[in-house]
Amino acid sequence: MALPQGVTDFLNQSAESAGVEQPKSGDDLFRSGVLDSFALIDFVAVLEEECGIKVSDADVNPANFQTIETIEKYVESRKG
Amino acid sequence: MKAYIVGTGMSVPEGVVTNEEIAERLGLEASQIFKSSGIRRRRWAERGTTTSSLGSAALGLALENARLEKQDVDYLLFGTMTPDRFIPGSAPSVQKSLGLGEIPCLDIRGTCCNALYGLQLARALVDSGTARNVAICLAEIQSAWLDLSPASGTTSMLFGDGASALIVSGESRDASLEIIDILLATDGSFVDDLGIRCPGTEFGTTRAGESDAEQAIDYNPRMVGQSVILNASRKITAACQTVLKRHELSPDTVRWMVPHQANANLLAHVARGLRFPTESGGVVTVLEDYGNTSSASMGMALDTLRRSGRIEAGDYLLLPAFGAGFTWGAGLCRA
Repeated sequence: MALPQGVTDFLNQSAESAGVEQPKSGDDLFRSGVLDSFALIDFVAVLEEECGIKVSDADVNPANFQTIETIEKYVESRKG
Repeated sequence: MKAYIVGTGMSVPEGVVTNEEIAERLGLEASQIFKSSGIRRRRWAERGTTTSSLGSAALGLALENARLEKQDVDYLLFGTMTPDRFIPGSAPSVQKSLGLGEIPCLDIRGTCCNALYGLQLARALVDSGTARNVAICLAEIQSAWLDLSPASGTTSMLFGDGASALIVSGESRDASLEIIDILLATDGSFVDDLGIRCPGTEFGTTRAGESDAEQAIDYNPRMVGQSVILNASRKITAACQTVLKRHELSPDTVRWMVPHQANANLLAHVARGLRFPTESGGVVTVLEDYGNTSSASMGMALDTLRRSGRIEAGDYLLLPAFGAGFTWGAGLCRA
């Protein structure tokens, strides 16, 4: 499943602010500099709003948000 | 019985270490350290300085501030992650150096929430009639544990040395703060995301030689930054909201937020998340000058605020914290 436009826009804007390339599906969002610890807080809020899911405390794990692929899988698991 | 914070004190080592002095060694830019943490400098103690000596100095000032004598203290709590010795705790060393009576002396290991754990215990001791005046020492000498190499740069840049002390009493006096509530919680699923593994029974008690790098890193602080920040942001905000709700208060009725001094960006996130008004008082921070002093930090911020004379009668103070464990919480006091 593709992520909503609002989520993709957030990642692209974050990449632009960090001065790095827009992320591709398997790119490590932390290593590439698209997300850092503080951007992750805002990103999770955007993900919840745009995807209509609640990221539970147990799921507040950076591994779920490492790449666009893992984010898609996570969102799918929450919706399924 | 009500319990009040009636005295505060703080003490830091003389040695000032600026971002510029450590940036290259840590593989970072000085400006990057400030931007990502809000820290410009920290104090690092000379080798040989003990944690208890810093704690004793802070406690001496807190007793003076409370206008109490040493013999008035009938219980001592000492919160630290960096004790003088493995056994016993550091509280007995403070008891001896300050010449306190033969009172109960207890070390607590609630990491960066030690001030809240200390206040919760002190309040209960006063409330139960077990003690009249409880001294809480909060001290760290973290510089001795830091790995000053680029591999640990983003962790080691944060930490400083320092001490604070709080006196909790059943009798209020001028400038005292009533302890209204302390909420604390823990989720042990995250024990490996923040802390130091060794020495201990799980990973070993003998430091390996230089060649065994895998084991050697278990003696260094470890921090999974994304997990810590994300969890801290959520848990601290939720703890503050719960405490305020329990007392039918809203963030705009609280004048001061006196948090554990973890990271300026985190504190800004928490304040925004709570819609905490900053114009009428605000978030008290000493991060810029002292860095993250873990157990000691909240007490250092509180002492700085109290001595500034800016607290007015009736002001509410919110005291949030988050630390290794993970453990987190929030306290509420009223002037």
